[in-house]
Amino acid sequence: MNFLKKVLPIAETQLNMANKSALHTSAVCCRVQSGRYRITTKRDRPLTYEMANPPHFIGHRKTWNSWNTSTLKDGLRPSQTAIEDVFIRKFITGTWHALVCSEIIIKRQHNTIRIAAIIRQAISPRKMYFLIGYTEELLSYWMQCPVTLEFQTVADKKDVVFKYI
Amino acid sequence: MYLSAQLRLLSRCRLTRHIASGNGTHYTIAASPATAAKEEEEHIEIPKRIQRSSTDLLQALASTVGRDSTAPHYKYHDDPYLIPMSNVAKRTYALSKEAGRKAANWIKEEHRELFLHQEAQPAIEKFAPSMVYTEQSDVDVDSLQQLIDQGELTDATLVYNLLEQKGVAVSDALKQSLLELVCFYNNQEPLPEEYIEERWFLQNSRRRERHGKTWKDGDLAEKLYEAIEPKTPQSYAALIRGMAKYLQCERAYALLQEANERQIQLDTNTYNAIIQIVSYLKDSADQRWQLCSELLQQMADQQLHPNLNTLNALLECISSFGNFKLARSSALKLLAEFKQLGVVPSLGTYYYLLIIFCRERAPVSHVIVDILNEIGGKEFKIQHPKDTYFFATAMDVCRNHLHDKALAKKVNDLLHTGSNYDLVGDSFKESIYYRNYLALLCQTESIEDFMQTYDLLVPNIYIPEPGIMEEILRAVEISGAVDQVPRIWSDMVIFDHTHRESLLLYVLRIMVDNRPNAELPAQQQLPEQCAKVALDMFNKIEESAKRIRKVSFTGQMLGNILTLLVRDAGNTSSFEKASEVFAYIDKQQHRIPGTPADSALLEYVEAAVVHKAPTQALAALQYAVENNMETSALAKCIHDGYTLSEVHLAKLKSLVGEGFLEK
Repeated sequence: MNFLKKVLPIAETQLNMANKSALHTSAVCCRVQSGRYRITTKRDRPLTYEMANPPHFIGHRKTWNSWNTSTLKDGLRPSQTAIEDVFIRKFITGTWHALVCSEIIIKRQHNTIRIAAIIRQAISPRKMYFLIGYTEELLSYWMQCPVTLEFQTVADKKDVVFKYI
Repeated sequence: MYLSAQLRLLSRCRLTRHIASGNGTHYTIAASPATAAKEEEEHIEIPKRIQRSSTDLLQALASTVGRDSTAPHYKYHDDPYLIPMSNVAKRTYALSKEAGRKAANWIKEEHRELFLHQEAQPAIEKFAPSMVYTEQSDVDVDSLQQLIDQGELTDATLVYNLLEQKGVAVSDALKQSLLELVCFYNNQEPLPEEYIEERWFLQNSRRRERHGKTWKDGDLAEKLYEAIEPKTPQSYAALIRGMAKYLQCERAYALLQEANERQIQLDTNTYNAIIQIVSYLKDSADQRWQLCSELLQQMADQQLHPNLNTLNALLECISSFGNFKLARSSALKLLAEFKQLGVVPSLGTYYYLLIIFCRERAPVSHVIVDILNEIGGKEFKIQHPKDTYFFATAMDVCRNHLHDKALAKKVNDLLHTGSNYDLVGDSFKESIYYRNYLALLCQTESIEDFMQTYDLLVPNIYIPEPGIMEEILRAVEISGAVDQVPRIWSDMVIFDHTHRESLLLYVLRIMVDNRPNAELPAQQQLPEQCAKVALDMFNKIEESAKRIRKVSFTGQMLGNILTLLVRDAGNTSSFEKASEVFAYIDKQQHRIPGTPADSALLEYVEAAVVHKAPTQALAALQYAVENNMETSALAKCIHDGYTLSEVHLAKLKSLVGEGFLEK
C-alpha cells in the first residue's frame, strides 16, 4: 500500500501530462475498505452484528441505518436530511454519553422521526426517563417535528457483541 | 391519490344505492351486466355530504383501540428495564420524563439564537423560542392584544405596564380582556398546559390549598377595573367572578350589590359564582338557603336563564348543610325545578347528589341506584370542574355506604363506556376509585372471581396499597386459598410491601394455618412453594436490618418460617435451611422478642427425627428448656424417634431430668 501511495501521484501526473481526459484505471480503494473492520492481532476487537457484516450485505443480512424517502426520484430535502441525521447521531451519542452500544437507526415517516438504539443499563431508570424526555423535546425543537425515541436496554455491553476479530 | 381517483370512478350510483337502501349486502364491483342495467333505471338518491372535522378520522381510528391491561401505560417506555413496577416508580418515571422536557424547553429559551431557524412549512410557533419582553422592549397595542390571545399572563401585564409608562392609550375593550385574563388566573402564572403529567400527579397536594382567601387585594385586577370608565357590565362580571373564584367573598358580594343598585345587567355565570360562595357568606343553613333564593329571585328579575353551573353551584351550597333532611328535600326540589327548565345534569350534579344523600351520619340512601338507572350506558363530556369527582365518590358510596357489589360493577361499566374514562380525574382519584373497587370485590366475591379482576387490573392499571393488600390477604385467609399466596407474595415483593410487618405476619399465618393437603394433585407443589416464600421472607428481613425502614424478627414470625421450611418434607435442602433458621433463633434469642410457638418446635423436632439429626433435635429441646416452654412432648418425640447414643441420652436426661423416662 505504501508503495502505491508513493507511486500513484507520480503516475497520475504523468498520465495527466500525456492525456488530459484523465481516465482512472486503478482500483477504487474505498470500495474495499469502508465499513469493514480490520482483524486485530489478539483477535479481541468486539463487533456487533451490524459491524460484523460488510456493506455489501445491506439489504440481505442487515438494513440501512437511515430510513427515509429523500433520495427517491423527486424526493425532498436530500442534503438536509443527511446533515440532520449526522446531527441526530452526534447529539444522541453525546447526550447518552458512553451508553449507546449500537448504531443509531433513524426512521422518518411523514412528519415524525423515530430513533432506535440499544442503551446500556448503566444509569437508573429515572435518569433514563429524564434523558428520554430531554432528547425527544430538544430534537423536536431542532427538527421542528415530533421525535420519538424507541430505545431498548441491555444489562451489559457484551450482550450486543456478535463476535471478536 | 391514485386510490382516491379510482374510488371516485367506481360507479357512484351503485355504491350510494347500497348505502341508501341500507340492506347491508356485501358490496362487490363485479356485478353482472344484467343487474347493472336494471340498476341504472332505478332512482338514485345521493346522500348529503357529512361535514367532518380534520380530526374525525383520527378519532375514529383511536376509538378502535382500548386500554391494554397487559401492557403499561403508553407514556412509559416499552422496555423491561424501564417499566415501572410500583406506585412510586410510576410517579417518578412520568415526572422525570416531563422534567427532561422542561430542561429542553429551558435550553431553547436560554439559547434562543440557536433555535431561530425555520424548517416547518408553515412555521410552528411552539417549536420556536417565545418572545422575550423586557423594560426596554419596543411594544405597541397589537403585541398586548396578541399576548392576551395567547394567554401569556406575565408578559401581558409587563407590556401593559410598559404601555402605561410610555403614555400609550389602551382601549377599554383591550383593558377589559386583560382584566378578564388577570381575574381568571388571579395574576399568577398558571402551570403550562403541555405538562400533563404534573397535572395528573399534582391534585393530591393542591387539595389543601383551596381553603381561605387567595385573591390579591389591590393588585393589578382592581387597578384595571378602576381604569375602565364608565364601568361596563362585563368589567363588573369579570371582577366579581375573579373575587369569587379566589374566595374574596365579602367584597365579591358587595360588588354584586353595588352593580344591582346601579341597575347594571349582569350575566348568569356571575350569579353562579356568587351562589358558589354563599356558604362562605352565611353561617346557618337557613340563612344560606335564603340568600340563594334571593339571588335566584334577582336573576329572575333580570330575566337571566339559569344553567348547569347554577344547578351545580346551588347543590354545592346545599351539600354544606348540616341538617340532612333539609338538604335532601331542597336538593330534590331543586332537581325537579331544573328539569322543568330543561337543564341537563352533568356528572358533577350527580356527584353533589351523592355527597348530599350518602353521608356517614345519615340514614342509608339508595339514590345511587336511581342515578345509575338514569345515566347507565351514557357517554359524558366534561362540562363542570366537579365532573371528575363522580367516579371516585360513586365507588366510595358503593363500598362504604351500601356495600353492594352489583352497583360497583355498574359504576365500573359506566366508567368504561365510550370516552368516560377521561373523566376519572387524576392519579389520586383514580387510585381511590380502584382502591374502593378492589376492597369491595375482595370482601364480596369468591376468591377465584376476585383474582380474575385482580389479574386484569394489577399491576399495569392499579397497584394495591399496603392497606388493600391486607384486605386481599384477609379474603385469601377466609377462603383458605393458600394456593394464591405464592403469587401474591411475588407481587408484594415487586410492589415493595415487604417492610410492613403486619403484612408479613399475615402471609405467614395463612400459610401455616392452611396446611396443604399433599393428596390433592393441585396442592402437591404447595409445600415447596411455601417453603420458598418463607425462605425468601427470611432473607428479605435479614437484609432489611441494614436499611432505614427495617423490620425486626419476632419469635412468632421465625417459628412460622421454621414450620413452613420443615413442611417441605420431600426436600432435604429445606431441612438444612430450617436448621440454619433455628440456629439463628438460638443464637439471637436475647434480641428476638417472644419465642416460636410450641407447635413450631414440635414440627421441627419431628422433622429432625425424619432426617435423623439428633443434635438439632436436642438443640431445640435445650432452647425450649431455657425459655420455659412445653418440653415433655419434645422429649418424648426425641426419645421415641431415635435409638440415642450414650452422649445424647445423657444430654436428654440432664435437660428434662431422670423422671421423664419412667413415665
